[in-house]
Amino acid sequence: MKKILRFASVVGVLIGFSSCDSEKPNDSVGYSDLFEHTADNLIIPSYAQFQSDLSALNADFNSFDASEVQSLERLQEQFKATYLSWQSISAFNFGPAAEYSALLLMNCNSFPTNIAKIEDHVQSGSYNLGVPSNYEAKGFPALDYLLFHTSQSDLLIELADSSRVNYISDCIDDMQKRIDEVVQSWDSYRAVFVASKGNDRASSLSLLFNNFLYDYENLKRDKFALPSGFATQYGIPVSADHALVEGYYSQMSFELLDANLSALQKIYLGIGLDGVDGVGIFDKLKEYNAQSTVVDGDLALAIQEQFEACREAISVYTNDLSSEIESNNLNLSQTSNTLQKLVPMIKNDMRSYLSVTVTSTDADGD
Amino acid sequence: MVTNFTKYRRRIRDVLFAQTSIAPLIVFRIIFGLMMFAGTLRFWSKGWIESLFIQPDHFFHYYGFDWVKPFGELGMYAAFGLLLISSLCIALGMFYRVATVVYFILFTYVELIDVTNYLNHYYFISLVAFLMCFLPAHRCLSFDVWRKPSLYCDVIPSWPIVIIKFQLGIVYFFAGIAKLNQEWLFDAMPMSIWLQAEAHWPVIGNFFTEKWLAYSFSWLGCIFDLTVVFFLLTRRFRPAAYSVLVLFHLMTGMMFPIGMFPWVMILTTLIFFSSDFHQKIIIFIYSKLNLKVASAIEYNSLFLHGFKRRFLTFFLVTYVFFQLLFPFRYLLYPGDLFWTEQGYRFSWRVMLMEKAGTAFFYITDPETGRKGEVDNSQFLTLTQEKMMATQPDLILQYAHILAEEVKSKGLKSPIINAEVYVTLNGVRSKLFIDPEVNLVELKDQWIHKDWILDR
Repeated sequence: MKKILRFASVVGVLIGFSSCDSEKPNDSVGYSDLFEHTADNLIIPSYAQFQSDLSALNADFNSFDASEVQSLERLQEQFKATYLSWQSISAFNFGPAAEYSALLLMNCNSFPTNIAKIEDHVQSGSYNLGVPSNYEAKGFPALDYLLFHTSQSDLLIELADSSRVNYISDCIDDMQKRIDEVVQSWDSYRAVFVASKGNDRASSLSLLFNNFLYDYENLKRDKFALPSGFATQYGIPVSADHALVEGYYSQMSFELLDANLSALQKIYLGIGLDGVDGVGIFDKLKEYNAQSTVVDGDLALAIQEQFEACREAISVYTNDLSSEIESNNLNLSQTSNTLQKLVPMIKNDMRSYLSVTVTSTDADGD
Repeated sequence: MVTNFTKYRRRIRDVLFAQTSIAPLIVFRIIFGLMMFAGTLRFWSKGWIESLFIQPDHFFHYYGFDWVKPFGELGMYAAFGLLLISSLCIALGMFYRVATVVYFILFTYVELIDVTNYLNHYYFISLVAFLMCFLPAHRCLSFDVWRKPSLYCDVIPSWPIVIIKFQLGIVYFFAGIAKLNQEWLFDAMPMSIWLQAEAHWPVIGNFFTEKWLAYSFSWLGCIFDLTVVFFLLTRRFRPAAYSVLVLFHLMTGMMFPIGMFPWVMILTTLIFFSSDFHQKIIIFIYSKLNLKVASAIEYNSLFLHGFKRRFLTFFLVTYVFFQLLFPFRYLLYPGDLFWTEQGYRFSWRVMLMEKAGTAFFYITDPETGRKGEVDNSQFLTLTQEKMMATQPDLILQYAHILAEEVKSKGLKSPIINAEVYVTLNGVRSKLFIDPEVNLVELKDQWIHKDWILDR
């Protein structure tokens, strides 16, 4: 019996020793610098910027005068600015933004938009923008349609109709309500985000990485490959469809694409909204490359170069993506390949080095 | 030659049929049953029955087991309910024979549903459950003995304990052999990647980015795996070896998302301790539960004679040889094992590499010439996609899943290519398989897959 007790105490001490030491905080190593910089100089300011752009859009809309073409132009310009500003926050779809009451990504940018549904809502005047079935009838894609789908003179006639005006106002209000909530929640969420340790599914590292990857994969597929005819729907190859691009009616899909790419690149490099270069994933990869025993070129730099290559690839087009698709531009497939190359760099190499957990199940293999 | 053979036979007989106390086997049974009960509860509470067996639209089958299908929602929950009941029955020694057979069949069934759930310790549990079906582990401190006292015995032949020790030894020893490779020992890969991810650990975390620590951990892990079982077999080093074992498993348990595995190993290896140690545990349980110690019967039929004994010996020796040889089947395949994973599973290769893949599948309609990239998330779960992207046999299976899908939608003869990039142990992603090959035309076979590109 004594032996068992002695033995049990040894085991107990060992367990106690090894389980207590994961609790105490230690800020000198790890990712807290990355989290702090990303939160304070990218996420929070970008949300604030988007919030103020959206308010400006709302103000322009409230003062909109359907008898003045300048008023419409001002509104359209502010819409574009706000849609571009959205691209800087779409990769942060976790924490408050992923709360059920916010669900920013789904509510603000589900495209292509459903014109029939929008017109139906405008006609009937009875709709509930809060339900998932209306994701495709609200947000930027809906506004893009309502504010750009025809000539300015026709738009002015349309926008004299109060039911249409109300619908636009409801769409803007809905986004404002959601972003206000997200901005407010980040006040307290910041501490949680910055203090996170480890690499499991719920860790900040995993959230940041997985949403970064998700945003890029969406960019590659939904914003480019799918409309260009390089994708499948449930396995069946689909033909090119210019109406599937983001910002179809305002003809700004390449601008939006570049803004999205540029935002992701800045997250990667750790360049804050004010232009200050701080700790980004790039810097973490640099550290790893320096320490790793097997180094096959500089991964940190390779990813940065690929980001540049992607931006360059989309900068060669003179027209909007929807027109390039229609004119069957052969360069599109080249561009698709360039965009594709970045995926394994993020999904494999970056993920491996950061040891981010992808799934919640147990593992023993890789 | 003849005398040598007789000598071996006698030695085998001595090892398998020497008289020994039943106590270690009884404690093992109780621990195993309780642990499997806890493990099943954990699995259930994490919602994995739903996410692994009900939600997926498609399942990846093991070679030759494509007839194994999930039972559907009600059926799966019923199966897990039965697993809970049977594991508890094992712990209690209640209808032991039936309980072990039910447990073994259901557990193995659940594991066979989808390859992407494969874990070495699930294989280990399947094997142990299989062995348990034949062991007299209910003949003391059990409901069965209470019901039928004539079952009781305190002395058994040693083979049940020997075979479990052997099985445990295999797990460690082969995990050690697998670490005997250039990258693990001389590049400290993937250990250095893994340690960096844990650099937030207090105190020791600061050293996790040091190369020397990565090398030390790699070598110590390897030496530990190769030797621990031999130390556990000696009376003198057993306590020290076990302490190291506990520390080792707790550390790895904190570093990696390996679930129950550390606890399975920490608790099952108790079987290496002496009969006295286990006898004391049993007496302790007796006294706590106020049970009467039964008295042993005179004649013990467990020792077997004649044909039965020869048959059992043959069975055990075959099992041992299979376990020793099967992990080496990879030698029959050309190419780098970690890269091709041909002969990788069922060989105790645990936490050996850092591998990740991205698989772009393209489907071409030869009639229209239209070609498009597949959105894998429309067919697979995240786990399935992740596992598929690094394993050639699963890549091929997925291509066939896709072919079935699009054929049912009217695309009669699809051409399916895959552009797969894989990174292994920190070396940058490379093209994994021939992107030109039409996967629909290939069948999964035991023979070498020559469409895997060189590492």
